[in-house]
Amino acid sequence: MAQGRKGKLNYRCPRCLMREIDMDMLFDAEKGEYYCLRCSFFGPEAEVLRVNAEFRDKYLDRATRITDF
Amino acid sequence: MTTFYLNVIHRPEMVPEYLQKDAEEGKAEDVTRSDVIRESLDIFRTQQRVAHDNDIRTTIQMTYASLFNEEAVAIAKADHEKYGDEIGSTFLGLQCAQFREKFASKELAIWLFSMEDKRRIVDEVFGKFAEVFGFLPTSTGSYYMDAELVNYIKDRYPHVKAAVATCWEEGPKAYHNANNSWYTLLDGGPWNPWIPSRRNIHCPASDADDDIGIVAIPHLSRDLMAVFDGPGSYYGTHPQNILRGMVYEGREIPYFMNIVDQYRAMAKYNRGYAYNMMFVGPGWMSKSGRWEADYDFLLKSYEDGMAYYGQLKKEGKAVDLTMSEFADAYRQDRAYSQPEVTLWKDILYGSKRQQFWFADPSMRFCLDMNLGGAMIDLRPYAAKLIRPCGVGTKHIQDASYPFLVQSLFRAGYFTHYAGEGAVKSCKFGHAGEEVDLCACRTQASFSEDGDTRVVTLDPVEIEFETFTIGVQSIFRLSEGTGEIEITRKIVSSTDPSAEVSIDEYITACYGTTEYPEDLTGVKLKLKGKSGKESIDYEYRCRGAAIDGIESAEAIVPQVDTRLSMRPDAGDVTGYFREGMAFSPMYTLGIKKTVQGTGELRTWLRVEKAS
Repeated sequence: MAQGRKGKLNYRCPRCLMREIDMDMLFDAEKGEYYCLRCSFFGPEAEVLRVNAEFRDKYLDRATRITDF
Repeated sequence: MTTFYLNVIHRPEMVPEYLQKDAEEGKAEDVTRSDVIRESLDIFRTQQRVAHDNDIRTTIQMTYASLFNEEAVAIAKADHEKYGDEIGSTFLGLQCAQFREKFASKELAIWLFSMEDKRRIVDEVFGKFAEVFGFLPTSTGSYYMDAELVNYIKDRYPHVKAAVATCWEEGPKAYHNANNSWYTLLDGGPWNPWIPSRRNIHCPASDADDDIGIVAIPHLSRDLMAVFDGPGSYYGTHPQNILRGMVYEGREIPYFMNIVDQYRAMAKYNRGYAYNMMFVGPGWMSKSGRWEADYDFLLKSYEDGMAYYGQLKKEGKAVDLTMSEFADAYRQDRAYSQPEVTLWKDILYGSKRQQFWFADPSMRFCLDMNLGGAMIDLRPYAAKLIRPCGVGTKHIQDASYPFLVQSLFRAGYFTHYAGEGAVKSCKFGHAGEEVDLCACRTQASFSEDGDTRVVTLDPVEIEFETFTIGVQSIFRLSEGTGEIEITRKIVSSTDPSAEVSIDEYITACYGTTEYPEDLTGVKLKLKGKSGKESIDYEYRCRGAAIDGIESAEAIVPQVDTRLSMRPDAGDVTGYFREGMAFSPMYTLGIKKTVQGTGELRTWLRVEKAS
């Protein structure tokens, strides 16, 4: 098995991101999956994007323009 | 009259952190890699163009490495000529072949060098700058500029008037966020520009003698609520930070404008003055993308942010100044005693939560309305701690200003199983029942009464088993006194005959991180009409109380601070409580009992102990 390499757009581990740790993942080209060097996350790009969307859910105002201060 | 000042700062970094790291994958380190330098310069040029397209002037902070690059120097000179941009100097971006040759070090943070090296580097950087431009810079900066470093710069180069001096609340949280590999341990400073003390850069100067001689600018204007409890590099006026925090939907980032507008609103609390800064290094706009965002999105976020600044300028709502111009403007009518205050509201999580922030030469503190106005952060600036950092000093990387209260690092109201956390609040009791205001969410409003800033909380209800009381808290901050006046008023009671105890307390410690420090040597004292009590802290859970209290105080020699409480008058009881090793805290309190309605008024003060 060849070494893992940086994947597309420096995807961070979405599970580590959930606890606010920025951890770039490596990409295993043979299996077509990202994996984390810190926790045990692994998964294809779709899974990374799914958990990233979950991470953003906490920002209820992420799409709101607030002007009343 | 309201003025919203804006500083936009760019730096031609030849070997930007993230860009270099990506380029190095699978290769040996090479700080002269030409493709990285070329890309970085392209990004710098793009940033300058985007600012100028929006009619925003910038401060170009030349890195040491860029002083050896003819193209970077030429861009700076041309933009200075054409747009009036200021050419300043930064101690970021030191690393390059020339630096390695002269200093034989891979260290990248100016504040972490030994004092001797700091002096040599300052002279080398400023000397090279003068050689290239024919004049010396009047603005400088880094992620952190310790007082010892700035004192040296002012001694040798007295014309320097501004510096990017700290990153607001980059401390243990930033360290953890970067997988424990980012050594900006710099918590505890003001969130907006200030004139620092010559003893400690975090502390606003008390007077002209204490004035270090520059105006300090925090790196970025950050979300005061989100960054107090989260990574600094997610929530601020740095568009790519916001991408890093993933605060967007599709490719739109209204959050950036919301932060800017909340900073603009600070004029309401600061006599018409408000401020914002943006400072993005080229590494954050890497052409290969970063933070799950492609280059187009990175660029769009920058363009959108700058366009908003440009729009505000066009509408006459923002004044773009260079750093040195801002320093002059800031000093024009700023009394040393004038506090920086703001009532920050949540613009991220959709709650109505508010936090009140205050910083003056005596202290920095934060009140959290989600916890009934409890104090969740307290930094004793009055101590003006001389606390050098860097190699050869006691603290090396830990450049944070110590706290007495930091409720997120030291539990606060909620603790697991036993003990107490660091927080200042008030408890109301009746017949064995006790309710802490920390459990009473509320909202606050701000007003001014001459030189007194007033934070008035909406009344909350406290339900006892057989009756209910309404309680209002009012905080009064009289400029230059170093004291907080706190009134807890029972404004209503469904049983006017019921007796209620009001117990104003502060549970505190000291430190700069989440981990406990040794409290041995702390003195707890009471002084009142009926006598005195005093103990040296030994983790033995002791306590004392005296009636007719005049003052309850803790002397914390480790941070050279005297923390004290006093009542207005009358028959009130003061007490202290020693903690234990499982709860390394000390508590001071003042309590009284009222029937029906009534109030307890106390003052909290921090002073230098020695």
